[in-house]
Amino acid sequence: MENKLSTKKQLLTVAEDWFLEQEWKPFTFQKQTWKAFLSGKNGLLNAPTGSGKTYALWVPIALEILKEKQKAKQKKKGLRALWITPLRALSVEISQAATRFCQDIDPTITVGIRTGDTSQKERAAQKRNMPDLLITTPESLQLLLSSKKYDHLFHNLNAVVIDEWHELLGTKRGVQMELALSRLKTVSKNLKIWGISATIGNLNQAKDVLLGPAGKSNENSVLVKAKLKKKIQVESIIPEKMEKFPWRGHLGLHLLDEVVPIIKKSKTTLIFTNTRSQCELWFQKLMEKYPEFAGEVAMHHGSINKETRLWVEQAIRNENLKAVVCTSSLDLGVDFAPVETIIQIGGPKGVARFLQRAGRSGHQPGKVSVIHFLPTHAMELIEAAALQKAAKNTVVEDRVPYLQSFDVLVQYLTTLAVSEGFYPQEIYPEIKSTFCFQALTQKQWKWCLSFITTGGESLKTYDEYKKVEIEEDGKFKVNHRGIAMRHRLQIGTIVSDAVLSVKYIKGGYIGTIEEFFVSKLKPGDVFTFAGRNLELVRIKGMQVQVRKSKQKTAKVPSWMGGRMTFSAQMSELLREELYDAAESVHQTNAKKSKELKALEPILKRQLKESIIPKQHQFLIETFKTREGYHAVFYPFEGRFVHEALGSLLAYRISLLSPISFSIAFNDYGFELLSDQEIDMQQVLDNNLFSADFLMDDLYKSLNATEMARRKFRDIAVIAGLVFTGYPNKLVKSKHLQSSSQLLFDVFRDYEPHNLLFQQAFTETFEHQLEEGRLRLALERINHQNIIWKNCDKPTPFSFPIITDRLREKLSSEKLEDRIQRMLKQLEK
Amino acid sequence: MNINILHNHFHFTCHGVAYWEDQKALLIADVHLGKISHFRKYGSAVPQSAIQKNFDRLDEAVKEFQPQKIIFLGDLFHSALNMEWNLFESWVKFQSAEIILITGNHDIISPLRFEKIGVEVVPELHMGRFRLTHHPEKKEGAFNICGHIHPGYRLSGMGKQHLKLKCFFQSQNQLILPAFGEFTGVYVMKPNENEKVYVCTNTNVIQVA
Repeated sequence: MENKLSTKKQLLTVAEDWFLEQEWKPFTFQKQTWKAFLSGKNGLLNAPTGSGKTYALWVPIALEILKEKQKAKQKKKGLRALWITPLRALSVEISQAATRFCQDIDPTITVGIRTGDTSQKERAAQKRNMPDLLITTPESLQLLLSSKKYDHLFHNLNAVVIDEWHELLGTKRGVQMELALSRLKTVSKNLKIWGISATIGNLNQAKDVLLGPAGKSNENSVLVKAKLKKKIQVESIIPEKMEKFPWRGHLGLHLLDEVVPIIKKSKTTLIFTNTRSQCELWFQKLMEKYPEFAGEVAMHHGSINKETRLWVEQAIRNENLKAVVCTSSLDLGVDFAPVETIIQIGGPKGVARFLQRAGRSGHQPGKVSVIHFLPTHAMELIEAAALQKAAKNTVVEDRVPYLQSFDVLVQYLTTLAVSEGFYPQEIYPEIKSTFCFQALTQKQWKWCLSFITTGGESLKTYDEYKKVEIEEDGKFKVNHRGIAMRHRLQIGTIVSDAVLSVKYIKGGYIGTIEEFFVSKLKPGDVFTFAGRNLELVRIKGMQVQVRKSKQKTAKVPSWMGGRMTFSAQMSELLREELYDAAESVHQTNAKKSKELKALEPILKRQLKESIIPKQHQFLIETFKTREGYHAVFYPFEGRFVHEALGSLLAYRISLLSPISFSIAFNDYGFELLSDQEIDMQQVLDNNLFSADFLMDDLYKSLNATEMARRKFRDIAVIAGLVFTGYPNKLVKSKHLQSSSQLLFDVFRDYEPHNLLFQQAFTETFEHQLEEGRLRLALERINHQNIIWKNCDKPTPFSFPIITDRLREKLSSEKLEDRIQRMLKQLEK
Repeated sequence: MNINILHNHFHFTCHGVAYWEDQKALLIADVHLGKISHFRKYGSAVPQSAIQKNFDRLDEAVKEFQPQKIIFLGDLFHSALNMEWNLFESWVKFQSAEIILITGNHDIISPLRFEKIGVEVVPELHMGRFRLTHHPEKKEGAFNICGHIHPGYRLSGMGKQHLKLKCFFQSQNQLILPAFGEFTGVYVMKPNENEKVYVCTNTNVIQVA
């Protein structure tokens, strides 16, 4: 006993000595983690980016490898440690940090990377001789599980670290990770599991999801918190003259000139945009207007090819760049010491995200992180004020973990069937032990097994469904090579939407682009991509062939997934800010923030046409334009809640009399637009904001709108119902292409009890509509005075909503009647 | 809905079938039989109960018009031979009408198999001044009836309302039939002034352009 203790002490001395040599002093959280790990504990480390979290875990892992190496003469085979990172861009950084330590303590400890970017040759070499530490992504780990004899590979695995666990937690990749861990716990004999997470609201739950809600792993675990106070300073970018401020828009290009002095003043600036198209536009305009930046300003987003991305990342480290226009692709991990300034363009939609971005600057401990916020339209000025408060009070959101994701489960089961095959009675308890599937019933489990073997129903004589076979001894196994190959290609596609690779006709890969955008282009059209103007020549298989174009104006690709929603916390801050604004507008000598002052002309205009709602008021505006009859509601609850409220209300109104709606929503409110006048008095008289029959009505309104249909798209891809192929690989699968839209209809009409189809609805409820928030919102509205303003024309508040093009539809009219009326309108 | 083309009478149904009264012929395009089985064979679990729907609809049309000829305008089968062939074979046995298939790009099943069960296979068909093909064709002096395109039409109205429906698409010398098959998509057509569009609703056919 004493001997063991002294060994642990000795090991820690090795680490402390090394820190001394680097002239560093270990943080308390680092020492805590080392000790906990070396005592055999699992855990979750809560530490921000750039705080030395890599050394908190890599040090004890390496020390344990060192200890064993000295004890055993012969080197144990296979992997000793896995480091999972959600973003492959981070792997280089982690590898460098890890190598730095082990080169000094024992140069025979090896570090390797395996991601989508790793070459076939390197992969094969790794298979023959695995490094001690492998840095990889959740998808690449799944691929390892789909390879033969994976159990040997992981047999001597000592530690798994899941970096940036908060990023995975609220996603299906997180579920993928939970399942992989449930398997590793069985095949690896002495496994310790650790997660690293930035600060989120539900840290304890994050640990439960990581280690499983009950069981030994969780019992033997700790939560280590790094108490590093980081000072964050938020500065709004507001022009001197306020006429410049548009009522709507999300690009913010009108403030381009205001950004330039900030770039010029600091060493390196990261400019965060919310979408890839916005990123492209900002880069293009910046280059056009300030050609002197050529070579000093770069662009970074997920669709740009790997070489360029790596080059940009390296150039930031080498201090070769003045600025980088980027998206969330640079949100995580990578430690860019030279970055001094952050600019956020447009609302970041979440406090945690905003704070994390702010943290990208002033990486050295103790430095103040400065983030400049650039509001893209007037209403975002309120957001700016709210964000300042958030930074002061460190309000952060929860990340809601997925439950019962059957799509991921059937994908995982197929993965196991592809590699070694599995026996259900062995795997079932593992799956039940995960957070996601703790409530899995025998019936649902049986359904999943039958789904992968017979396609979900009893077999009919003429059916040839083929995927997983049940062998004589009861083993579930994929024996068909084509099915195995397609499944492996599909594993990485949890991030949905078909992507095509963009290439020059003469060769040369530029990046990937969503099919959704390309489908709107004709040959000869010019579009902006990766900072260049390209002419579409043709689409061939999964390739978009282009040539350079000299044309100045071009279409900018819109990438999906750019629409994020306010978190509950952010919405609350926003409402408070708005109520303040409502109060302050009448006061002349009050101390007003820069933001509210800038907002004043618009608030005055709003007051002229309508009101600014106060805490006890719920505002509804109605007006008529060329487009039809508008009714705009302002709950200020965030986009997702508004989407739900909008459909709910539209559904309830449509029960009063046949009517068709187009529904738009943003973070402030939602709009019901119709070609008929909406009888608002009836809406109020019938108490349509009631929380009674909420779920029932919502379910029905979901059927009538597209929300569940959109969720189903990802589910169909993950569960292998739709084969999307893979970027850069030409797959001859034309006869297997179909849209998930068609599939959705077929399931709705013929197999509505299919668990995957049902999942589309439960996911909409749990992750999109956030039932809990919706109930609270309705409760709040019911306690407020409803103020209905019949306006002459659109108000400043309504403007960003009514001009939004992404819309839901809902109709209770007969199809024939709608056609007839549309025809009549045409004749007018 | 009844239409006159070159003094011939056609009846369009909401399922996308055209019945040619003068020839007592049922015209059906792009059924894509076997598509669901094809998907299932390759591991995509599309509900198999949807398979029967195509045959039910075919029966419905045959019962309504009692045709002497049933002419498929190509893409009758989606891909290579699979078990849905057996369903088709037994369906054919129950038909008293003559069955003709004009081959389309998806029809890769051997014509010999069709002929064996009594289905005539031709590349195209001339009937008076009408030329029946799978791909749309423009030839002087003939009126072309074809499929392949899966035509659809987008209607818009006030209040940002839109509808997308499958349709019959008629131009001066051509009629393109909608795809009959369940589980097939549509291609949106943009008619000019001389072209006519008849959209299919669940119960009706309505001329909209």
